[in-house]
Amino acid sequence: MLYMIGLGLAHESDITVRGLAAVKKCKRVYLEAYTSILMSADKSKLEEFYGREVILADREMVESESDKILENADVDDVAFLVVGDVFGATTHTDLVIRARDLGIPVESIHNASVMNAVGACGLQLYNFGQAVSIVFFTEDWRPDSFYNKVMENRKIGLHTLLLLDIKVKEPNIKEMMRGRIVYEPPRYMSVATCCQQLLEIEEKRKEEAYTPETPCISVSRLGSPNQSFKAATLKQLAEYDAGEPLHSVVMLGRQVHDLELDYLLAFADDKDAYRKAVIADQEYFKPPPPPPAPQDIISSDEE
Amino acid sequence: MVNFTVEQIRDLMDRVTNVRNMSVIAHVDHGKSTLTDSLVQRAGIISAAKAGEARFTDTRKDEQERGITIKSTAISLFSEMEDDDVKEIKQKTEGAKFLINLIDSPGHVDFSSEVTAALRVTDGAMVVVDTIEGVCVQTETVLRQALGERIKPVLVINKVDRAMLELQISKEDLYQTFSRTVESVNVVIATYHDKVLGDCQVYPEKGTVAFGSGLHGWAFTVRQFATRYSKKFGVDREKMMQRLWGDSFFNPKTKKWSNKDKDASGAQLERAFNMFVLDPIFRLINSIMNFKKEEIDTLLTKLEINLKSEERELEGKALMKVVMRKFLPAADAMLEMIVIHLPSPVTAQAYRADQLYEGPADDEHCLAIKNCDPKADLMLYVSKMVPTSDKGRFYAFGRVFAGTVKSGQKVRIQGPNYVVGKKEDLFVKAIQRTVLMMGRSVEQIDDCPAGNIIGLVGIDQFLLKSGTLTTSETAHNMKVMKFSVSPVVQVAVEVKNGNDLPKLVEGLKRLSKSDPCVLCYMSPSGEHIVAATGELHLEICLGDLQNDHAGVPLKISPPVVAYRETVEGESRIPALSKSPNKHNRIYLKAAPMEEEVSLAIENGIIDPRADLKVRARLMADEYGWDVTEARKIWCFGPDGTGANVVVDETKAVQYLNEIKDHVNSGFQWASKEGPLLGEQIRGIRFNILDVTLHADAIHRGAGQIMPTMRRVTYASMLLAEPRIQEPIFLIEIQCPESAIGGIYSVLNRKRGQVVSEEQRPGTPLFTVKAYLPVNESFGFTGELRQATGGQAFPQMIFDHWDTMGGDPTDVSSKPGQIVLEARKKRGLKEAVPGYEEYYDKL
Repeated sequence: MLYMIGLGLAHESDITVRGLAAVKKCKRVYLEAYTSILMSADKSKLEEFYGREVILADREMVESESDKILENADVDDVAFLVVGDVFGATTHTDLVIRARDLGIPVESIHNASVMNAVGACGLQLYNFGQAVSIVFFTEDWRPDSFYNKVMENRKIGLHTLLLLDIKVKEPNIKEMMRGRIVYEPPRYMSVATCCQQLLEIEEKRKEEAYTPETPCISVSRLGSPNQSFKAATLKQLAEYDAGEPLHSVVMLGRQVHDLELDYLLAFADDKDAYRKAVIADQEYFKPPPPPPAPQDIISSDEE
Repeated sequence: MVNFTVEQIRDLMDRVTNVRNMSVIAHVDHGKSTLTDSLVQRAGIISAAKAGEARFTDTRKDEQERGITIKSTAISLFSEMEDDDVKEIKQKTEGAKFLINLIDSPGHVDFSSEVTAALRVTDGAMVVVDTIEGVCVQTETVLRQALGERIKPVLVINKVDRAMLELQISKEDLYQTFSRTVESVNVVIATYHDKVLGDCQVYPEKGTVAFGSGLHGWAFTVRQFATRYSKKFGVDREKMMQRLWGDSFFNPKTKKWSNKDKDASGAQLERAFNMFVLDPIFRLINSIMNFKKEEIDTLLTKLEINLKSEERELEGKALMKVVMRKFLPAADAMLEMIVIHLPSPVTAQAYRADQLYEGPADDEHCLAIKNCDPKADLMLYVSKMVPTSDKGRFYAFGRVFAGTVKSGQKVRIQGPNYVVGKKEDLFVKAIQRTVLMMGRSVEQIDDCPAGNIIGLVGIDQFLLKSGTLTTSETAHNMKVMKFSVSPVVQVAVEVKNGNDLPKLVEGLKRLSKSDPCVLCYMSPSGEHIVAATGELHLEICLGDLQNDHAGVPLKISPPVVAYRETVEGESRIPALSKSPNKHNRIYLKAAPMEEEVSLAIENGIIDPRADLKVRARLMADEYGWDVTEARKIWCFGPDGTGANVVVDETKAVQYLNEIKDHVNSGFQWASKEGPLLGEQIRGIRFNILDVTLHADAIHRGAGQIMPTMRRVTYASMLLAEPRIQEPIFLIEIQCPESAIGGIYSVLNRKRGQVVSEEQRPGTPLFTVKAYLPVNESFGFTGELRQATGGQAFPQMIFDHWDTMGGDPTDVSSKPGQIVLEARKKRGLKEAVPGYEEYYDKL
């Protein structure tokens, strides 16, 4: 049996009880260590907690040597631990497909992911649109396809969750071209970098999917005891220091419920200004006023 | 005793209309350096006695020993012309003083890259051709290069003394030989003619051809004789010049000119050229060589040649040299041609600018080059590096095309990969000193204005081989030089003593700097490779490396040849590769590209850096490409400029432009090392048929797309009848008839193919041209010498890539053997992998 187990967001003890029980009976335990990191626990802490040896599975292993992970999984129990939820912001569907092809039964044990925990900022999960990733811009690679998705979300008044690039174990491109694999030091994108990149693309595209005054929320260390939020405009967040990683950003849509706003104001430095920004932002993509009710038409006819 | 000062030269630099930048180019051993000596001697840098033997511009020890030029060498000369001559100059001039910046270049084909570097910084070329050997393969190559760079040629027909003394040729035969040589030079010029240059054929009757002997230090132009006779006959000089060449005859009885070689009574008339030009020379030389004392004296008086008393004592050849040098000094004839007929930088840059500059033809920098403006932003092209006496340091040698370069000035040093607005391949550094290059020595000067040639100190570490210097942030690069030769012969070098390795690495860096064409790199298996254009070039480079640049004993592998990987058919199914996370897929097909397109890319006609639309139009008009397809070329490779293209044939794929750069990088990686034997890919068109991408940018980054593009490139090639290409030399051999049998038997043994065999009219010499695989060329010269009793010497020049018949994956075929050997050497798995290795099933 291959157990796909979500670990949650921060602590080794965030694992679910069912998950823990599964890990404890597994012969081999792999920890996927490149799409995200567990903020307050390292490998040795996990091993101590599980009472099991944990094998770090880097990108090469998961993507190119999956056979190793799946070896004998039809008879033995193998755990594949994923930070957050199993099928959150990851690409592990491929592993499941391969396991299925090999006739290995798969069981998923879910957990919290940034995709749902982000509700902690006070916005209703119902009102989120497509999530997008913001990647580190390089000299000649500055992808802006996220802009269209933000635009689509905002057009119908939905919030956008922006996931920020993390490079835990990224191969160096130049070395790769020489046939060697050398990893870059880990990097995590900050709220400020993300917002600067957003502003750069708006400056370039000028289609007003959002503006420097668009209200946003900075989300840092979500799920850990010192998680924090900051509500401010995009321009303000571009200069905001959100502290230790990991960070995310939420950009508000037009549909802000009164309750949502009340919740958010607690995170704003200048509550009035933020409220004004939210109200001003509702002018963008405003739908045309609803057609007059039928009886009104009749009455005007009579006159 | 130098008869000019550095101040005089510096002064002339400001009067650019009176500057001539010129190179001396020719086939090997036709006498460039010897002729150059005459000019150097006129400037007083070497003594008259030594001119013709000193080979002043051959500054290296091995050049002197071997008697050939290896590196091009520059020298600045000062010259004062007669007012009478100055009047004839058809471009703007100021006064009668001229500065001539002369570059003597090597004639051996292996060093053609030195010629290219010399041509770039000059505007005119003095083409030297041997009277007896005529126009040879390298004459044609350098002429073609010169015209390609928009360089105006003048011609010197050299070694006339040999024709007269050794072959005892008659006057009419000599005229015919001259005439044929001029004609064949003009045929080459007509073939590679650039309209912008106007008529640049050479005509003896217009004074753009000189005849002479570098060794004996004499030469003349028809114009010089016309000047003498125009007074005597009272005819205009221009008219006289017309009469002294071609079918123009003089009847001494009637004192009439005619264009028929018979007079009214049917008696033979003598050709004017023979009668008025050759006759005095023949008579003078005959009388001296036959020791007819009295006749000599009358002739000397008649020709107004005054000898000093000790010179009167001389006899035979020694006397002839002295007399001829006084009668027709070689320097006079050459200076006259150079000053009157070669363009000044002002004239030349006006038509060369748009070809020299990569940026738009109407931006301020291009206009500054066009106007040769010394007050504009600096535009300077460094064409090569010249070693200094300080070991391991170099002068950057180049030409100021606009602005003024000064000592201490801060400049932007832009390498060949620099793109405006980016920081790659860019340094900002100060120039320590500016120097005038004077053959073996240098003279310091403070600054140097547009139009002049200059050496720079202190920037050598920041340039690989060549590059653009500028003071403007908006300036594009000057065009990168295209070489007519490729480094196709390579060896692996290693140190004998392990501790010397750092010295070798440093030495290789210096070697790479010191030569425009040598390639030094590390192979995937960790060997240090030196690649050169031919056996001689390789020998010289390795000698320099061992004795000079590295200075440590080396082990050198036997030479091997560089191959290319290509395909002969289209991929039989679309190749598909998935990214490591399996969420991205690329579908690709490989197909052979037309050879003429490959050549056009390699020769810079189709320029990967040119404007997309202009390039697409050119490809459509000249090479039959579909315009829309040509516009969808994503990249060229390897190195962004190679003869392979990736064409986007996808339809409506979302996010496609966000992976373009990664596809490009992956393709550069793949095309540098092909799947067969790790050699460069050549002549393939890759069509991207379809692409599937993950919706989120983070899962389609470089780490996902690059390896995928590489794998799918390999898979598509292995699905398309892969082949290897080997380099082929064109060889030219001049020899007597008796040696031809020997040549054929050696060629047969070496897979050679004879292209042509012709007798040179008027000589007993035969010219044999043949194709020879570079692989078979090692030791060819030696074997040829043996088989012909030392009568045949080949000139070998890289000509083309030839696709080898036979499947390279089948070890029983010849290509299969080559692939197997190369794979073993590189430490790859012995068998070529099947396409399945790189192919992912759906």
